[in-house]
Order: sequence, then structure tokens, then C-alpha cells
Amino acid sequence: MKHRVKFEVNGEAAEIEAEPRETLLDVVRERFGLTGAHAGCEHGACGACTVLVDGAAVRSCLLFAVQCEGRSVQTIEAFGTPAALHPMQEAFRTHHALQCGFCTPAMVLTAIDMLAHSPNATETEIRAALAGNLCRCTGYAGIVDAVCSLAGREPVDS
Amino acid sequence: MKPAPFEYVRATQLGDALAALASDDDAKVIAGGQSLVPLMALRLARPALLVDVNDLPLDTVEVANNEVRLGSLVRHVRLERDAVVVRAAPLLAEAAALIGYPAIRNRGTLGGSVAHADPAAELPAALVALDGVVLAEGREGTRRISARDFFEGFLTTVLAPDELVVGVQVPVAAERHGASFREWAPRAGDFAVAGVAVVIELDAGGVCVSLGAAACGVGSTPVDLHEVLTDAGVLGASDVGDSLLRSTAQAAARTARGDDDREQLVGLLTAAALHDAFARARGGDASGTGVAA
Amino acid sequence: MIGARTLRREDPRLLTGRGSYLADHDVPGLCHIALWRSPVAHARIRSIDTAAAAALPGVVAVLTQADLDAAGARPMTHLLPIPGVQPLAWGVLAQEVVRFVGEPLVAVVAASRAIAEDAVDVLVVDYDELPPVVDVHAALEFGAPLLYPEWGTNEFLHLDYATDGLDDALARAPHVRTERFESHRIAALPLEGHGAQASFDPATGTLTVLASQQQPHQLRTVIAEVCSLSEGEVRVIAPDMGGGFGNKQHFTREECLVALLARITGRPVRWSQDRGEGLTASIHSRPQVHDATFGYDDDGRVLALSVRVVSDLGNPVLYFSGVGPSLVTVGALCGGYAIEHHGWSLSCVATTTCPVGGYRGFGQPQSHLTTERVMDLVAADLGIDPAEVRRRNLLPDAPRPFIAHGGARIDVGPLGPQLDQLLDSFQYDAWRERQRAMRDAGRYVGIGLSTLVQGTAPTQYGVAGRGGSYETAIVSVLPDGNVTVAVGSKSQGQSHETVLAQIAAEMLGTTVDRVVVRDGDTALLPNGMGTWGSRTAVMAGGAVRVAAGRVRDKMTAIAAHMGGAPTLEAVAAEAWWHAHRLPAGIEPGLSATVCYTPGRTIPIPDAAGHTSFDETFGSHMTAVAVEVCPATGDVSVLDALLVSDCGVVINPMVVEGQHQGGFAQGLGAVLYEEVRYSDDGQPQCTTLADYTIPTAIEVPRLRVVHRETHSGTEGGFRGVGEAAITAAPAALAGAVADALAPLGVTITSTRLHAHHLRALLRAAGVEPDPAAFAIA
Repeated sequence: MKHRVKFEVNGEAAEIEAEPRETLLDVVRERFGLTGAHAGCEHGACGACTVLVDGAAVRSCLLFAVQCEGRSVQTIEAFGTPAALHPMQEAFRTHHALQCGFCTPAMVLTAIDMLAHSPNATETEIRAALAGNLCRCTGYAGIVDAVCSLAGREPVDS
Repeated sequence: MKPAPFEYVRATQLGDALAALASDDDAKVIAGGQSLVPLMALRLARPALLVDVNDLPLDTVEVANNEVRLGSLVRHVRLERDAVVVRAAPLLAEAAALIGYPAIRNRGTLGGSVAHADPAAELPAALVALDGVVLAEGREGTRRISARDFFEGFLTTVLAPDELVVGVQVPVAAERHGASFREWAPRAGDFAVAGVAVVIELDAGGVCVSLGAAACGVGSTPVDLHEVLTDAGVLGASDVGDSLLRSTAQAAARTARGDDDREQLVGLLTAAALHDAFARARGGDASGTGVAA
Repeated sequence: MIGARTLRREDPRLLTGRGSYLADHDVPGLCHIALWRSPVAHARIRSIDTAAAAALPGVVAVLTQADLDAAGARPMTHLLPIPGVQPLAWGVLAQEVVRFVGEPLVAVVAASRAIAEDAVDVLVVDYDELPPVVDVHAALEFGAPLLYPEWGTNEFLHLDYATDGLDDALARAPHVRTERFESHRIAALPLEGHGAQASFDPATGTLTVLASQQQPHQLRTVIAEVCSLSEGEVRVIAPDMGGGFGNKQHFTREECLVALLARITGRPVRWSQDRGEGLTASIHSRPQVHDATFGYDDDGRVLALSVRVVSDLGNPVLYFSGVGPSLVTVGALCGGYAIEHHGWSLSCVATTTCPVGGYRGFGQPQSHLTTERVMDLVAADLGIDPAEVRRRNLLPDAPRPFIAHGGARIDVGPLGPQLDQLLDSFQYDAWRERQRAMRDAGRYVGIGLSTLVQGTAPTQYGVAGRGGSYETAIVSVLPDGNVTVAVGSKSQGQSHETVLAQIAAEMLGTTVDRVVVRDGDTALLPNGMGTWGSRTAVMAGGAVRVAAGRVRDKMTAIAAHMGGAPTLEAVAAEAWWHAHRLPAGIEPGLSATVCYTPGRTIPIPDAAGHTSFDETFGSHMTAVAVEVCPATGDVSVLDALLVSDCGVVINPMVVEGQHQGGFAQGLGAVLYEEVRYSDDGQPQCTTLADYTIPTAIEVPRLRVVHRETHSGTEGGFRGVGEAAITAAPAALAGAVADALAPLGVTITSTRLHAHHLRALLRAAGVEPDPAAFAIA
């Protein structure tokens, strides 16, 4: 049976009908065309689908859309544009923190969420906070540098 | 990798949740969903009905009568950061910080972890070490179940199919309380191959007057190490020197006999957690760092 | 421009979620595919009942190989041109026999992936189990169950090579030793799995296939062959790719299936590999066992090296299979060392496991492990420092090219000075001092070295029997002075849009932001070789450079004719808009198409019997220091440094990124990742909770120092992408072996995972002290 869900997507009120088994990931991608959230594993282990729900980073593959009634969902598309990057995106670019880019939107959102709670996080804390987001290309050094730069930290081990 | 079809109901009242649970033999509660949904995506779990309890007023932290009472919807991130939890139940805060990754901890709940009863999970072992109580609500009323009796086997508990975990209760950490949770996992954030939780309380003279301990990752349920540590002479000890650490480790390791690797790890982690717990109890800093070995 | 740390052109769109990966291409009416895959390692199919599946609402079609055959599908082949290889062709779907868990048998097309999976759930397949063959050595034993009884063996290919006098040299050597080195099975695991989407336009007769594919042009050829179409009727587009790492250079059954199903159903269809399929039923890599016999003198000079290589192919139903990487392995066993006598035997063996194929490094991590472990063992045996043993065995600094066994023409810079630079930058002597001090304090620290000489930009002719060593580029200056570059190589994240723009901009005297690089579309260029084998800088970079040079020369001629010092825009306008004013003999327009080859490979044996598969070589020297916890087996990297010579560096930021990322993969391979099977052939790693790649916590920083030795190819570039992933396993194995030597542990495989090291330590009788562990 389909359920009607009212929620907010990137600041705009939205209403959809969804099967219970449709994940938030599939819904933002297929219904809203927000393809910056990526299906990397669909079982909560890679982090590529990370979005913000009520401001907190969550795995959108582990949340059914019907559970989002009344929630506010933000995807990467709410943060910066190619012509005007968000400071975190700018830092990623400056520090060569991405190669293929598949993990990147989720990594950026996780970093934004992290610094919102710990604006002066240490490199060790930053690495721990990013550990749920797998990157297969970069070896993480550029990502850690990027987030450290916004936390006002010199990477310790560089 | 898509779940099989299911029906969904969102409960806003406890009674509605219990009724929904009772309405279908294949009903399942969803709270944080961080363990259940992966199993559904893999089609290893195929509930016919999901009862969403996230709207129930169970995201609560209360201290009364020398007990900390935590609602089942307290998310791991809150256990990790909430000042009351960090002070009154530091072992739970430390255990929560060891679970998965931030996005998992933002959703995963205390009640969900307890009810899921994964033997490798941290919170069930922490509850056993703390000699906590699981509060279960059914249509017959509330049951208080000792954590030591709650876990029956791999992913199974004494909970009836139409019962819901609504909270847990643990004693408030005393003044000279020391807690430590040490685990070994291939990567930080993975399920532990083995983990050991130790809590102790010292009297004014520095003598251990109360202790609890449990291991995760070993066996099909959390393994209660209370008796092992007591018999090893930790209770009544005023110091943990090398020989007590070694003999306690050896005794604890025996609980994993038959699995050389876990036997080795349980011994090491028991010694480390015991050492930390004493240091913290003495230093007055009961909170741990949660860093793996 | 060349040599600048130019920020990437591709970043703004990727950072803001505007990347366009395979699954981002929804079209109206799109259908999705799910596959019934074998749940057992080996079985004969008795019957398939599709009725219940076909009856589910939303199911469009349920098809078996018989249906594909009826639609004119042709079999797939490995394309290997090697004499002596066993006969093998296979259907897009399995038919009578399945030979690994995950082998696809039935395809469902449905309105959604969820419905397609529902249909797969209710398919009824009846089969008789056949005995599995999981262990590669067991597969070679007499009486082993056979995957292909018509071969009479499980050996798919056997090759031997030896220099004259190898046996004598081994017999005469003052010291001879035989050791086994094993590389375990892993998965490349691009974060975006494989996938393809196809639609057929009956009006034009064109089949358009989107595929997450490193070689779009060659996939076009394969799809045309399998679907009985002409190449002109097939257009392949590789959109943004979420990694490839050599895995996506294979042409998969599923890519061909998608193409066939689009034609058969008339609907646009997509198959997007899920992670379970990716881990169990896609492509694994690396499993090889080497038995190395090496003879050396008292000074540590290796006089002879003979290696028996047994390579596990899984079920070799894969384009070039694990044979391609294995051929590279045996060709690279001497690495950067001048070893006078050399030989190898190669046995490529079929087992009832997932097909084995390419992964970044492509056979070289295995050979390099053996070569470097040999140097370490010689050093340990003779009590000579391992760096010194390497120095004594390195290729002489002149002449160039050095002609290696078999004919490879090695063109690297002088290796002695590079080794000096490594030891100096790493502060090798200071690390040895520190190691001694830490050992005295009961800490187990080890230092590992890798002196990698690596062939790059190889010809594909050796494994595909077609293609070769070239790349195509079109460089155009548009009427408004902006520049477009089209290339046949395909970025999977390697920054092609930036580095190729740097090359074009430098040649044309414009800025990077005025150059747009396009790739991955067979409609852009007649043919292209794609991205693999550390080839893009050399081959596509060379092609862009030559093409841009031709355009520049034409612009120079036009500008001279115009007089004064006209701007690029003015010359462009002149060339395109005022053709009547151009000098005599000059065609209108500013565009050049180039099919560039350095022409330095010898793909088939010449008169001397020589072959040489690589256009140029890189040299990369690495040192790592690790500490091993004797209680938990955890390996901590204390320092890691790589001295890189990839010729002219186009963009140091990008090169460092390639090294850091490759190092992470190499480290992951040996410390965290392992594909395991049960004895009955059941895969034990089916989720990312079981197959554990390193996270931000586990990957240390790799320091990179650049050297530049011009390659002599166009622009002077050398390949770089596969260096660190090849160096890391050997260097880490050496370091861990060095760390644990005092405890009597020997390292003979790439399994350096903590739990394996704990087992080795227990076997060596090491009993960790809980008290010491607790206090530490």
C-alpha cells in the first residue's frame, strides 16, 4: 500500500506517495532528480548515500521514505553550485580531495555535519568522523587536509 | 539490493504500537533501522509489517533513585554526547562511541541495539556489565528483565513477539566508579571480533567493592564475566598489578576457549579494560576515550 | 602550465552533486534488470520454470540463454591470441552448467529493480550439484573435478620460458634458496559498481549503450559482435565513472546482456550492479602462488631467478581473463634488477570461483612482491643491508634502453641516484637507528623497500590480438577561440579533463579554462583504446600534444599571413569565417585528428625473438617504516615515502593524488582486504561488512618526492597510476617481515591482516603479555 508523505526537500515542501520499501535514497534520486546522493552499497556500509535529515548526516539507503513524514531532508544539491561552491567544497577542490567524485557529495555533507558539532576538531577526530564514508580513489589525505583547513588545523602528520 | 515488499504503520501511541505488533506474526519494530534495514535490503529479513516507533516519546534520559533510566529511542549519538549519560553511565557513552560511524550513531537507538541482540554489539555487553534492567512493554504491562537474563541466543531475546523495549535502567555511577570498554575490530567502527566491558567501584580506601564485566563478540550472547573477575580476585583488590592482570586475563580468556584468536583477544582486552577501569576510578575520571586497542 | 598544480576542471560539478554517473540517466519507460545467479559453485541445470516470475505485475520479460540465442546472440570469447590456450566461448547467460556462485542464468526485465528482484525470488531452477574445485592446487591434481571436461584438465594455459644456462647458473650459484610467495584474492571495488543502460532506436537502427566502461570504443566492437550489428549501428557512451581501477576494462556479460535486452524488448533497460553482485559475481583479482628459486653470490648479487607461477583464474569466462595479468606477472619478475639468468613457468588454472581479471597493477603487484622479497631474503641471509643488496642488483645506469630478458626495452632514468634520493629523503640510516632503539625497548619496528621499474602504456595486442598501442585525439580551436579536445581514453577519476587541458593549453598558448576535454563517447572519435595500463598521459597526452601542435602550426601560418600579432581569437575567426583570405594551400578551419603511437613496442616476436610490450617505463622507489603490535597483530605505518619518476610531470597535485590513492589500495590489499571462499565454493565476503576496505583512519599519508626523466615519447611523459599500488604490498610485506624477524615469524604471503599475523605469532610460540598490553 502506498503512503502519502509530506516532508521538506532542500527547503521546499514536498508531498509524495511512496511504497513502504522505497528508500529515501531512491526517492530523492528518482522522484526529485537529486542524483548527488549515490547508491554505493545499499546496505549502509559505504556512506555514499549520506544526506542530512533534520540537519544530521544519515544513510539515506537505511531510511524508508515513509519514515520521513515531517522531516527536513537536505542533499548536496542544497550546498553550493558549480559557479559558487560552499566553503567545504572549495576546500575539497583546493586540496585535491576527490578523484572520481562518487563518494564526494556524501563526504562533503558528513564533513559539514561534523564541523557543525566540532568546529575545532583535531585531525584524529576528523579521520574518525569521516571513517564511515569510503573513498576508493584518494587515500583520504586530501580529504583530511580539506576538513582540517576549515577546522583551523594543520594536518599533524603531513 | 531492494527489500521485499512490506506494509508500514507509524505508531504515535505505545498502545497502537503494541496492537500493530500483535496484529501480524511477521511484524517487526523499526526504530533506527541501522541493523534491520541492511538485513531487509539483503532480503535476509522479510517482515510483513514494519511498526515505526520513532514518534513515541521514548527519547528520554532521566536520573532518579540512583538509577539512570534511558528511553529506548535514545540514539547512540545522544549516549555519546549527553552530559547526564557521560557522567552517570560513562560505560554506555563509551560503548556508544564504538558503534559504527557518525551517520549510524545519528540514527541507531539504544532499544534497537538491545532488542536486535547481536552478540558482537557493544551496548548489550555494556548493559550486562552494568547489571542493567531492560524495560519491556507488552499488552499485559511492563516487565523488568535483568540484562543478564535478557539475551537468549544469536539475535534472540526473551522478548515476546508483541513486546516492545521501551527503555533500560542502570545504576548511577558512584563517586569512585571506573568504566572501560575495550574492543578489537579489523577497522575502527566494524563489529568487534571481541570486546570487553569492565565497571568497578572503589571504596574510600581504594578497595574494589563492586564490579561488573562482560564480553561481546564471543559466543551467541554477551558473556557475563562478573563471576570470572570476582573469582580471579578483582573484588576486594586495591591494586591491579601485573600478576592480577595476567591471572584475570587468563581466566576471562577461557570463556572463549576453542577459538584461539578470540581467546587471545579476550585475555588482552580484559586486562586492558580492567587496568583502565582502575585508573579511571582512582583518577576520578570515569569516562573513557573509547579508543580500540 | 605543464608542471602546474592546476585545480581540476571536473571538480565543481562533482562536488555539487552534478556528476552524471551511470544510474543518473533515467529516461521515460526505463526498465531494470535483475539476474538469477547460481547459489552453488558447480551444477548442471535440469530445468528453469519462469512462469511465476513472468506473471508478476511489472515484469516485462524473463529470458534465458535460449531466448538470447533465438534473437541472434553470438557467444563471447576471451580474445586471447596465445597459442595453446584451451578452447572456450560462453553465452551471455550460462546455459547447461554453472561454474561459480553468482554465475548468471536467467534475466528478468521489469519496471523497477525491486520488482525484478521479486521475480528472481520466485524463479524455480532445478539443478544437480557437481563437485566444486576451489583450491587452485587441488584443481591441478589428477582426478580433480573438471570445469570443462573437454579440456581433460583444469589448466587453461601453460607456458614456459628460460634463458639458456639457467639450470647451470642455479647449480653453480654459491647460495640457492626456494621460497613460496602468495598473493591472495582481492576485489578492486570501484565505489560505483559496473553497469550499463541501453536503448534501441528502430527509426535509425541505432543501439545506444551507456556503460561504466574504461574502453568504450572496444566495448562497441564487442557489443556489435555479440548482437550481430555493425559498429556504425552501436554507440557506446561512458559517462562519469565512480572508479574503474582496471576492473571496468573487461567487457562483461551484463553489458552485452543489456544491449541484447534493449533490442529484444524494445525498451530502454538498465543493469546497475549491486554490491552483492559486485563482491561475488563480478571480477576478482590477484590470486597467484609463486615458487621462486634463486641463486646468489656472497656479495648478494642474484645470479639466477626461476619462478613457477600458479595463477587462479576462477571460471575464465571473461575477456582476457586472469591470463592477461598473469602474462604481465611473468614478464616483470626481474623488475628493475639485472639478473643474468631467468626463467618461469606459468600455469593458469580454472576453478569454480568468480572470474579473475584485471585490477590496477595488473599482475605487477604479484611479481613485484616476489622480486622484492627475494632481495630481502638474500640480504637477511648474508647479513647485508637490504638497500645495499638492491643497489648491487639494480639495472646499470647506462645504456638506455636496457634490453631485458625477452626483449623489453627499459628506458628509465638512472636508478642508482634515485635509490640515493630515496634513502636520503626517507632518512633511511636514521630510521635504522630508531629501529634498533625501539627494538631494545621491546617494540617491533620494520623497514621495507620497493624499487619498482614499471612498464607503462603497453600495447593491448598481446592480450587482445587486436588494437595495439595508439590513442586518438581531436583538438579543435573553435571560431570564438575556445578549444575542444576529444580523446579515446576515458577518465574514471584520473583528472583527464584537467591534465589534457593543460597540455592543449600549453601547446596552443591559451589558458586551461578555455579548453574543454570530452571523452567516453564513440561518436566523438572513430576509435580509441581507452584508459588502462597507466597509458593516458603517454598515449592520450601524446596524441593531444601532437594534434594541438598541428593546429598551432596552422595558426602560426595563418597569423603570419594576417600580419601583425593577431590574437588567438582573431586567428580562429580568420580560419573559420574568412576562409577565402587564407593563404594558398591552407584548408579552412582549425582542427586536427591524430592517432598517435610512440611506436616503441614489439607486440609479436621480432627476428631476435624479442617482444616489448611497453612504450615507456616509470621508476618509483618506496620506503616504509611500520610497527607491529605483537599482541593484536595490528600494523601501524610510521612513515612512508615514494620517490617518483614519471617523466615530465603534467600536474604534481594529480600525480601525488594517484600515488596516495594507489598506496591506500595497496595497503588495503595486504592489511584489510581478502576475498574468501568456503571449501564448497561459497563466497564469504558478500557485503561491505565482510569485505573491508580501509577508511580515513587506516590510511596513512604517503610522502612523494618527484624526479623527472624525459621519456622520449611525445611530451616526455611516463605512466604513473599503477606505481604505488604495486609498490605498497611488497614494501609493506618487507617491513612486516623485518619487524617480526626477531620473533621468528616469516612472511610468505600478502596476508598481513592483523588476524593472520596473530595466527603466525601464535604459531611461532609468541604469547602476548596481557599486563604489558594493558599498560601500553
